[in-house]
Amino acid sequence: MAPGEKIKAKIKKNLPVTGPQAPTIKELMRWYCLNTNTHGCRRIVVSRGRLRRLLWIGFTLTAVALILWQCALLVFSFYTVSVSIKVHFRKLDFPAVTICNINPYKYSAVRHLLADLEQETREALKSLYGFPESRKRRDAESWSSVLEGMQPRFSHRIPLLIFDQYEKGKARDFFTGRKRKVDGRIIHKASNVMHIESKQVVGFQLCSNDTSDCATYTFSSGINAIQEWYKLHYMNIMAQVPLEKKINMSYSAEELLVTCFFDGVSCDARNFTLFHHPMHGNCYTFNNRENETILSTSMGGSEYGLQVILYINEEEYNPFLVSSTGAKVIIHRQDEYPFVEDVGTEIETAMVTSIGMHLTESFKLSEPYSQCTEDGSDVPIRNIYNAAYSLQICLHSCFQTKMVEKCGCAQYGQPLPPKANYCNYQQHPNWMYCYYQLHRAFVQEELGCQSVCKEACSFKEWTLTTSLAQWPSVVSEKWLLPVLTWDQGRQINKKLNKTDLAKLLIFYKDLNQRSIMESPANSIEMLLSNFGGQLGLWMSCSVVCVIEIIEVFFIDFFSIIARRQWQKAKEWWARKQAPPCPEAPHSPQGQDNPALDIDNDLPTFNSALHLPPALGTQVPGTPPPKYNTLRLERAFSNQLTDTQMLDEL
Amino acid sequence: VGMARGNLTWVPGVMGEGTQGPELSLDPDPCSPQSTPGLMKGNTLEEQDPRPLQPTPGLMEGTKLEEQDASPPQPTPGLTKGDKREEQGLGPEPAAPQQPTAEEEALIEFHRSYRELFEFFCNNTTIHGAIRLVCSQHNRMKTAFWAVLWLCTFGMMYWQFGLLFGEYFSYPVSLNINLNSDKLVFPAVTICTLNPYRYPEIKEELEELDRITQQTLFDLYKYDSSPTLVAGSRGRRDLRSTLPHPLQRLRVPRQARSAASSVRDNNPQVDWKDWKIGFQLNYSHFHHPMYGNCYTFNDKNNSNLWMSSMPGVNNGLSLMLRTEQNDFIPLLSTVTGARVMVHGQDEPAFMDDGGFNLRPGVETSISMRKEALDRLGGDYGDCTKNGSDVPVKNLYPSKYTQQVCIHSCFQENMIKECGCAYIFYPRPQNVEYCDYRKHSSWGYCYYKLQADFSSDHLGCFTKCRKPCSVTSYQLSAGYSRWPSVTSQEWVFEMLSRQNNYTINNKRNGVAKVNIFFKELNYKTNSESPSVTMVTLLSNLGSQWSLWFGSSVLSVVEMAELIFDLLVITFLMLLRRFRSQYWSPGRGDRGAQEVASTQASSPPSHFCPHPTPLYLSQLGPAPSPALTAPPPAYATLGPCPSPGGSAGASSSAYPLGGP
Repeated sequence: MAPGEKIKAKIKKNLPVTGPQAPTIKELMRWYCLNTNTHGCRRIVVSRGRLRRLLWIGFTLTAVALILWQCALLVFSFYTVSVSIKVHFRKLDFPAVTICNINPYKYSAVRHLLADLEQETREALKSLYGFPESRKRRDAESWSSVLEGMQPRFSHRIPLLIFDQYEKGKARDFFTGRKRKVDGRIIHKASNVMHIESKQVVGFQLCSNDTSDCATYTFSSGINAIQEWYKLHYMNIMAQVPLEKKINMSYSAEELLVTCFFDGVSCDARNFTLFHHPMHGNCYTFNNRENETILSTSMGGSEYGLQVILYINEEEYNPFLVSSTGAKVIIHRQDEYPFVEDVGTEIETAMVTSIGMHLTESFKLSEPYSQCTEDGSDVPIRNIYNAAYSLQICLHSCFQTKMVEKCGCAQYGQPLPPKANYCNYQQHPNWMYCYYQLHRAFVQEELGCQSVCKEACSFKEWTLTTSLAQWPSVVSEKWLLPVLTWDQGRQINKKLNKTDLAKLLIFYKDLNQRSIMESPANSIEMLLSNFGGQLGLWMSCSVVCVIEIIEVFFIDFFSIIARRQWQKAKEWWARKQAPPCPEAPHSPQGQDNPALDIDNDLPTFNSALHLPPALGTQVPGTPPPKYNTLRLERAFSNQLTDTQMLDEL
Repeated sequence: VGMARGNLTWVPGVMGEGTQGPELSLDPDPCSPQSTPGLMKGNTLEEQDPRPLQPTPGLMEGTKLEEQDASPPQPTPGLTKGDKREEQGLGPEPAAPQQPTAEEEALIEFHRSYRELFEFFCNNTTIHGAIRLVCSQHNRMKTAFWAVLWLCTFGMMYWQFGLLFGEYFSYPVSLNINLNSDKLVFPAVTICTLNPYRYPEIKEELEELDRITQQTLFDLYKYDSSPTLVAGSRGRRDLRSTLPHPLQRLRVPRQARSAASSVRDNNPQVDWKDWKIGFQLNYSHFHHPMYGNCYTFNDKNNSNLWMSSMPGVNNGLSLMLRTEQNDFIPLLSTVTGARVMVHGQDEPAFMDDGGFNLRPGVETSISMRKEALDRLGGDYGDCTKNGSDVPVKNLYPSKYTQQVCIHSCFQENMIKECGCAYIFYPRPQNVEYCDYRKHSSWGYCYYKLQADFSSDHLGCFTKCRKPCSVTSYQLSAGYSRWPSVTSQEWVFEMLSRQNNYTINNKRNGVAKVNIFFKELNYKTNSESPSVTMVTLLSNLGSQWSLWFGSSVLSVVEMAELIFDLLVITFLMLLRRFRSQYWSPGRGDRGAQEVASTQASSPPSHFCPHPTPLYLSQLGPAPSPALTAPPPAYATLGPCPSPGGSAGASSSAYPLGGP
């Protein structure tokens, strides 16, 4: 019995029963399933019947799959935002108000620059439409006599042409009357035009240097053709005029603003800051940041807003550049650039225009919630405006930068990038063609500006409600106009007319400010608690369970495999070294005690104890366990060296 | 003897535990002594126990039934194997050479008794509170305490569940505001002349009407408050509004005010400058009975829609309109100018509902801002995706909008009530427009219907649901005098020369309109469900874990328990039924057979018992099994051995004996 005792002691001492040290993977799984707190696993082991087990395996796997799926959904919907809309009632900052005259420069001041252009335009009108000289004829003649003898510069460079509708490719240069061959495309889609009266369209041709590649722009209305043609040359001329001179040629603040009244307090031209716009001349911004504090209104209603009377000197209007009379007003944030042409609201003369505002603030969350930018620093476009980032600024900057790259000069309507000049014909003879090409590419999103520019994350917008009324009324006109004339006596020496004036009221309709704020809908705590909910719902699992799974399924699993491989290798080595011992045959059938009938595996506590039912007749014939000790020691010679020593002793 | 039996029958249930030896040794102590007072079900089960257990035929039937259930036919040893499997479960190695492997176990095996089932369930369930309630049988106080606690948590949990489900099934939505900046599709723009026909051309048709109207006016002036004349005038006013319609339909094609126009085709996509409406560029044309000829630019028939990639006046639509009013019908058209409306490509232009009047002699700059609204349909809100589920037939050749639906609904009712179609709305086929000559009283009918419609007696407002996605354009306008004093000279000259007509009243004869996008950012208000299924499940799981600590798999366990209970009940009923009716004599014989079967066929009888023996020996002292295999074999061996050893049968005999 002594050897039996020894085996027992050894097994007890050295052989792990189950658990992480389990000898086989199956054992490990069983151990895990029985001991884990995760629901479902235990049932796989304890339930009886194959179908039952299969079902439980299925249930457990389904639960695991559901957990994974739901958690994936939770993770993917992590970056969602919730929007809250708040309405505050408080004292509101008054926005910056920029006011421009539609006409950029006083015509009398700028006329000497534009004289030949005007001359040619009139001639074009005459030859094109048989225009009779008007009552201003003498005036025009006096001007043309001054410039007599000069070659028509502008028409030579880019002549206005008449295109015959049915005779494409031939164009008549109306200045000389000779026919010119026109190559290239005629961008005119009005081929199915129904009008019968005129079969001729007017346009101009833009060619690149070698004149082989030309783009023809046609206008079926002479008005548009002339205006566009005039504008083109006008920009060319004005691009060469220095800024100071241009500012002097435009309207001064005292001229433009006749009266000013803000929040019940009188104000004057000193409250306005100058802002020069290339196409609109001098603009004046009220309540800009440069004035020490941002003004605010404490009450809603037209009485408490800005009230100005503007002097729109209609007689000084450029007849070909602008065809409408009035002023433009832009309401914007203090650090925002006023895009006069995009967002400006026109004001009519001899009218009072009331603009009621309603403020809405929006705050968006930037990355990773949305693709907006806080201050434009992460947009690879250099901001050429001296103003806060906005999408418009980005687009315009992008276009202007591309223009400088491709054409070598900057477009007149937008600010200058560093180290660039405005385009003019003297230096860049074919910039116009380049510009039109580029503009078309821009519109068709070939320049990539639209994809690069992102919108800003926070912005304020003022919703405007405009209403009009006749002003001044017939009865008030009698005293109002003389008083205003007297007021303006220093600047202008003429009697004010009703159509020279416009009144503008800008006010908050109410002091309710609407803020639309985005906030993250999910936080990490929420995500974790949702994870916990999912784990608990399906399997009553926890993070510890997950760690357990990792431990069992990865670490122990592979350690068992490694151990088995190691043992196999070792046994193979041992078999190779020494011939099999005759005393201990390798065939397991020879063993009477199947508990020790282990092929290459460690006996476990279970298997050791698992005494199979032997045949009743064979009970007494249990062989002495000596073989087993031998074999066992062999198998575990590395682990059991000390015991072996003892044994031998 | 009863106690002994109780002990023994209880043990097989524990067998399932297998490795959890220490727990087993603890459990029997509280359980076995209190079995009589504590476990009511256990007692009742115990009463039933002897019947199936003791008589061997009964047990045999059980196995037979099992065979019927399970596909692999098992011989009598099958049951023993089934029992054995638990043992085998403990030790992975095939213990006995003569034993079939665990793979041959039955497809589904059932517990033989309720008690066994309950013990199994008690020991293996994962419901935290329940296991304490059922299995902690120390004293009644504790049981009662656990029952109360269990009920409390159960109540709390279901209360919370109710709240959660209530929240979910109220289908709350949360608002999302997105700001997009894209290239925008320019909307369709419709411009109407505000005068249906040129007066000189329609004068003959209107002569009588005009005469009557003038007469009426004259009469009204003369006899101010004469009731008869007022009535007469009202009748004539009705006449006035209806007479034009047959004429109008004849004259539509000739009314296009054709004149030369100009288009500036600088940018092929946007920026069309155009003088006068009559220009046949890319517009479609329809006739409005009140607003005259209407021209829609950039509508859905347009092959390539205009896109705006830049905001601002220079990148929009610019039109110069002739608004001369010398040929306006004096008594009908009292307004001069034009009417412009901005709408989506596939929406009809309801000039009445949304429009902008343009003043002559003024340049009107209309800046647009796009706004889109997406509602969640289905359970989350009452809206319709495309109007196909609205019980109103769409009479317009356009997509569904609420306005379209309401008009169609009104027209439907008009046709039903009055028998003819209202002139301002499109008519279905086979129905003609109302006409005094054919439908003499349609005016009265119409006004009655109109009253019903306004008070929603017709149900149009409830029938017509909101569309799920709406695109709207917010317009704001600025005005400036056009043309300016300095430029008007050449502008007028040019216009009149180019288009070969004279503008008599210069400033009142022309108007200019610019329509452009103020900014390319557009706001999208969309809804999203604020409680999704995932969050609902997460919340349910959190509550469940908090109060109960069980999971969905625990519920499956419960379901399994109930299923097992049903099956066992069924089996037992069947067995009782058989023992009573099938062979009444067998009941006695079965009892007598006990002895004989013990000798003849022990496996069927012994199956449940050997294992407890095996384990009871194993649990406390596993050492003998190792140290002295031969005696262990003596105790363990008998069960599977077909021959049946005397020792085993003798050990089992007292169990089955009574």
